Amino acid sequence: MAFAISGCLSEKSWHVKEIAGHLPDLNFSLTSDSGRLVTAKTYEGYILLMYFGFTNCDAECPVSMARLAHVVQLLGDGANHMRILFVSLDPERDTPQVLRRYVAQFDPLRAIGLTGATVDIEALTKRYRAAYRPRSGIGETDGIMHGDAVYIFDSQGQARLLATSADTDENLAQDLRRLLKISSWMTLR
Amino acid sequence: MMDLWYWFTPWEESVTVIVATGTAAILFLRGCARSNPQFHQKLYFWTGLASVYLVSHTQFDYYSERQFFIHRIQHLVLHHLGPFFLVLSSPLSTLLAGMPKSGGRFCRRVAASKPTQCLALVLCNPVVAVTLFSGLIGFWLLPSIHFTAMIDWRLYRLMNWSMFINGLMFWGLVLNPGPLFSLRLSPGTRIAMMLAVIPPQIVIGAMIFFASRELYPIYTICGRAIGGVSAIADQQIGGIILWIHGAMMSAIGVLIVVRRELVPRKLLRSEQAG
Repeated sequence: MAFAISGCLSEKSWHVKEIAGHLPDLNFSLTSDSGRLVTAKTYEGYILLMYFGFTNCDAECPVSMARLAHVVQLLGDGANHMRILFVSLDPERDTPQVLRRYVAQFDPLRAIGLTGATVDIEALTKRYRAAYRPRSGIGETDGIMHGDAVYIFDSQGQARLLATSADTDENLAQDLRRLLKISSWMTLR
Repeated sequence: MMDLWYWFTPWEESVTVIVATGTAAILFLRGCARSNPQFHQKLYFWTGLASVYLVSHTQFDYYSERQFFIHRIQHLVLHHLGPFFLVLSSPLSTLLAGMPKSGGRFCRRVAASKPTQCLALVLCNPVVAVTLFSGLIGFWLLPSIHFTAMIDWRLYRLMNWSMFINGLMFWGLVLNPGPLFSLRLSPGTRIAMMLAVIPPQIVIGAMIFFASRELYPIYTICGRAIGGVSAIADQQIGGIILWIHGAMMSAIGVLIVVRRELVPRKLLRSEQAG
């Protein structure tokens, strides 16, 4: 039965890039914007949209965060099962308080800022093949390089989709609705 | 000093790379003690081995994963330059001499076995070798394949290993006077093979260079390692590297075969005397 359902669903392709099976499951140990130590387990049961950025970024980050908040709103009731994780690439400046103030501008309820030790953040970016070079001496804060990937995980922390700024809000929302539907067979919070 | 050392630490540790490089280095060192190869052979061997190791098991690898043109440089070394030098050093006899007796016997037995001979007969066919060499470059550069290879670390390693092994096979076949697995290709055939891989590389390189849109968005999505280089510029530099430098290695290979095998010995000797 379950195979039949997943078989039917996988026939239709997703709007954004599907990456299931290619990237590892979510795994991290960081500090949330409320100052608590959090891991991937903390957010189990939610569909996660993970984005790497820093609060001092004045171009891509605010645009992407505003967009993610908007897409989540489009989901109606489904929005309650979503969490946006904003992982700071500038942990020196982005303290939990700074992050809290920053993410609250976009979605005080569902957006969560994460920071931590440089090595822990580096481990997470490495896991998801995102550009980040804190130790090379190249790329001081103003020039932090980052991509515009939004890593989307299902309620069990499995990497499912990769969205970029090239995808339209409506397409992303449609894919998230579909992911919600599939996830409701599992355990959604 | 610490900073310099950091650049030589692996970005992603790979036991396979460590074991393969270590084994080759130890066997060659032991072989040198026993069979005393010429200086230029040692120079070529260490240059080849070091270049392959440096692009695949240091911080260089980070940049290859995050910048298209550096990825192309990595593949130029893995598929062309590194294997080219390794083959030029004719390391087989030295490596065999470095093996324990039973290891050497085992290798000879495997090489003489029916399945190996059959496989070699297929892979050493000039048409197959040329198709495989050019096809592999094209395959990993197909946009959808490239995307997945860059996001999945297992495929990424498979890509790099396949390029290196294929490089060893191809250059081993065309640069070596032979015989290889009781197969002897004439210098003319081998020169033709090297010339035959030029057009595909030029075509693929030019297609990438002249593309007006981003063919490999993965680098933008996951972020580029070097700031200030636009997506299209990155793509164009990568295209040029494949277009010019890939083809250039063939030209050097042709010159080597001509000089080693086609110029009459007498002429070379009088040239040296003169």
